[in-house]
Amino acid sequence: MSADTAGPETLGSLSDEPQQQDPNSQQAKEIAGKSPMRIALGRLAKDKIAVVCALVVLFFIICAVFAGPICALFGVDLVTPLASERVDGLNKGLPKPEMGPPNGPFTWDHPMGVAPRTGEDNLAYWLYGCRVSLLIATTATIFASIVGVVIGLLAGFLGGTVDKVLSFFIDMFLTIPFLLAALTMAPIINDRFNTADNYSTIQKVALVIVLSIFGWMGTARLIRGEVITLREREFVQAARVMGMPTSRILFKELLPNLAAPIIISVSLMLPTFVALEAGLAFLGIGVTDGISWGQTILKATNLTFFREYPQYLWQPLLGIVALVLSLNLLGDAVRDALDPKTRR
Amino acid sequence: MTQDPNAQAQIEPTELGANAAETGDRQLTDETSDAYGSHEVGVGNLDFATVAEMGHTATQLDPLAPAVLSVDNLKMYFPVKSSGVVRRTIGHVQAVDGISFEVPKGGSLGLVGESGCGKSTTGRLITRLYKPTGGSMMFEGQDLAQLNNKQMKPLRRDVQMIFQDPYTSLNPRHTVGAIVGAPLEVHKIVPKNQVLKRVQELLEVVGLNPEHYNRYPNEFSGGQRQRIGIARALTLNPKVLVADEPVSALDVSIQAQVVNLLQDIQTEFDVSFLFIAHDLAIVRHFCPEIAVMYLGKIVEIGDRETIYGRPHHPYTQALLSAVPDVKQAAIGGRRERIRLEGDVPSPINPPSGCRFRTRCQFAQEICAKVEPPLLQIGQRHKVACHFAGELGAHPATPVTTALLGVDDQGSPVSGAAPTNTQLTIPGYEETWYDLKTRQTTGV
Repeated sequence: MSADTAGPETLGSLSDEPQQQDPNSQQAKEIAGKSPMRIALGRLAKDKIAVVCALVVLFFIICAVFAGPICALFGVDLVTPLASERVDGLNKGLPKPEMGPPNGPFTWDHPMGVAPRTGEDNLAYWLYGCRVSLLIATTATIFASIVGVVIGLLAGFLGGTVDKVLSFFIDMFLTIPFLLAALTMAPIINDRFNTADNYSTIQKVALVIVLSIFGWMGTARLIRGEVITLREREFVQAARVMGMPTSRILFKELLPNLAAPIIISVSLMLPTFVALEAGLAFLGIGVTDGISWGQTILKATNLTFFREYPQYLWQPLLGIVALVLSLNLLGDAVRDALDPKTRR
Repeated sequence: MTQDPNAQAQIEPTELGANAAETGDRQLTDETSDAYGSHEVGVGNLDFATVAEMGHTATQLDPLAPAVLSVDNLKMYFPVKSSGVVRRTIGHVQAVDGISFEVPKGGSLGLVGESGCGKSTTGRLITRLYKPTGGSMMFEGQDLAQLNNKQMKPLRRDVQMIFQDPYTSLNPRHTVGAIVGAPLEVHKIVPKNQVLKRVQELLEVVGLNPEHYNRYPNEFSGGQRQRIGIARALTLNPKVLVADEPVSALDVSIQAQVVNLLQDIQTEFDVSFLFIAHDLAIVRHFCPEIAVMYLGKIVEIGDRETIYGRPHHPYTQALLSAVPDVKQAAIGGRRERIRLEGDVPSPINPPSGCRFRTRCQFAQEICAKVEPPLLQIGQRHKVACHFAGELGAHPATPVTTALLGVDDQGSPVSGAAPTNTQLTIPGYEETWYDLKTRQTTGV
């Protein structure tokens, strides 16, 4: 056995390279290692379901971001028209035949038809509803994750009294029933702000706050548990021995190791919030200005409309189901990709 | 030599960390042995015998080396809390209970003992992962035990640690360059654009390919990962390295490489080691001085020849008798194995007097009554036992009675003043207590 300081395993190839090397050169890139995250991404790219779900999610994101241009492309908008121009008041308020289904053939003027009774364009409302839904869900997820991660990190790493106090708050928030709290808060906000000019913005902000307040506990618990196991690892102690400040240990040493649980909790939180947003809008305590899938569903659950014009209900429902389902499946796939131990 | 992959690297043989393969064309004398270290400069001019002598032989003791770290009466008690709502402290785990030793400059002190005897706790106290309950740790005129975290930070450059498990001691999400360079960034020693240079230099010192700085730990084997850990510990040019079982998680063939690397580092950078291990053979090779711990106390400390050749404490004798002997296995003879009965007592409630007495075959009444002092009985030999003596030649009466002013049963003798003055000093004194004459003698 060689007693050289360079073990036999290090003396392989690669040493005919020049000594000083530009870290960005091609050779350096070839030699660069793959981070665990990149390995996981590679695994994710091989998962067919994940790719399909990612494409579906991408489709919804494009719809949400470019809702305005897409509407302009089809020549539709959110403007409430003179209802008599589009709907037949004598025929239970259903759209006129020239407006497309259910009474007429498909028309490019209104690709998804118009709403009964009001005559608003369904495509425009669907696109902007998608935007509201994703905007609220994403913002709430970001806030809830940040709060959850920070509280979980602090509780797990500092331990002792800090952990006890923070854990108490986690448990306390878990005991408050979400729906009850939301139902209680809606009239308060309504009463306080309904005369304000930006009522719909306030409503959305309030919704984001409510969703965040009741969404961070799961992440915090997950992160706290992970941190407690990581805290005793020797690399954390090595960081302490070299005199690393606690904030740097938390955010530079521990946080990268928490990427997997954070991504998983985010990917599961997002569809939950999409569904919750629609659910609250349906109950009339979320977004109430009509531009929301939940509100459209509320209008469509009219027995007459559903019998005569079922597409009106299916459109937003399909949006919610496809988005939530693909987000959930994508989240599952991400979790599998991040955990090499799972085998399907 | 034409197939030497490093031949074109054009690394000067005199450069730090240039290993044998990198020295390019070599004379025959170089190639005769792999045993010599890589840092020996100009080996080509020497004959084989000299080269072989410079190899990785056991590290020699330098008796005149000044102490770089002096630990005196160090104590670490962990509180034991009761269960229930109000968690009161109901006791203490006396993990380390009053130990004293010195780590010589450029030398290495081995700390051996069975699991749970406080070896690792001692290492963690010195690197201040724990704050000691009592005692002092003098390092360059400052007491590490008294400093708070802020005052400790500049000293952390000088006291570094090598960890046991190479799989958990490296952050899996950081590249090797980030891991090894982190101490530089924390202490802001070199400007950012020179961190990489220093990292590559260190990787070369520990025998890794410097181009691998942007790889992740999962791409390395256990031995390579331990080298990364060693490189990280060396980044700040420490004066004291606490090696907490640095090789016990490695394959036996890799252990030798890593121990040789540590020896090279010691000669090259003049680092002092506190070498914590339970492998007696490796400690014998690496450490010219060894301290044996039992249940939070040092029971015997001395130089290598004394501890391995003439141990005086019954526990050291039992420990050494447990080392497998290849020769005896070959010729089929039975070894004199000293079997210790029972378990290690709980450190929450350790036995009175001598902590080893519950398992000691020589224990008498005095052992329960009076704790034996860590008595210097040779030039570089201290032992904590009332019946200290070589194997098979333990005295019938306690050797410490005159010093402690007690009779053979351990009861105080009226009028007899304790005469021992050298109970807890960390180092060695010029004079010592001779066991045969029971008198204090000198050189």
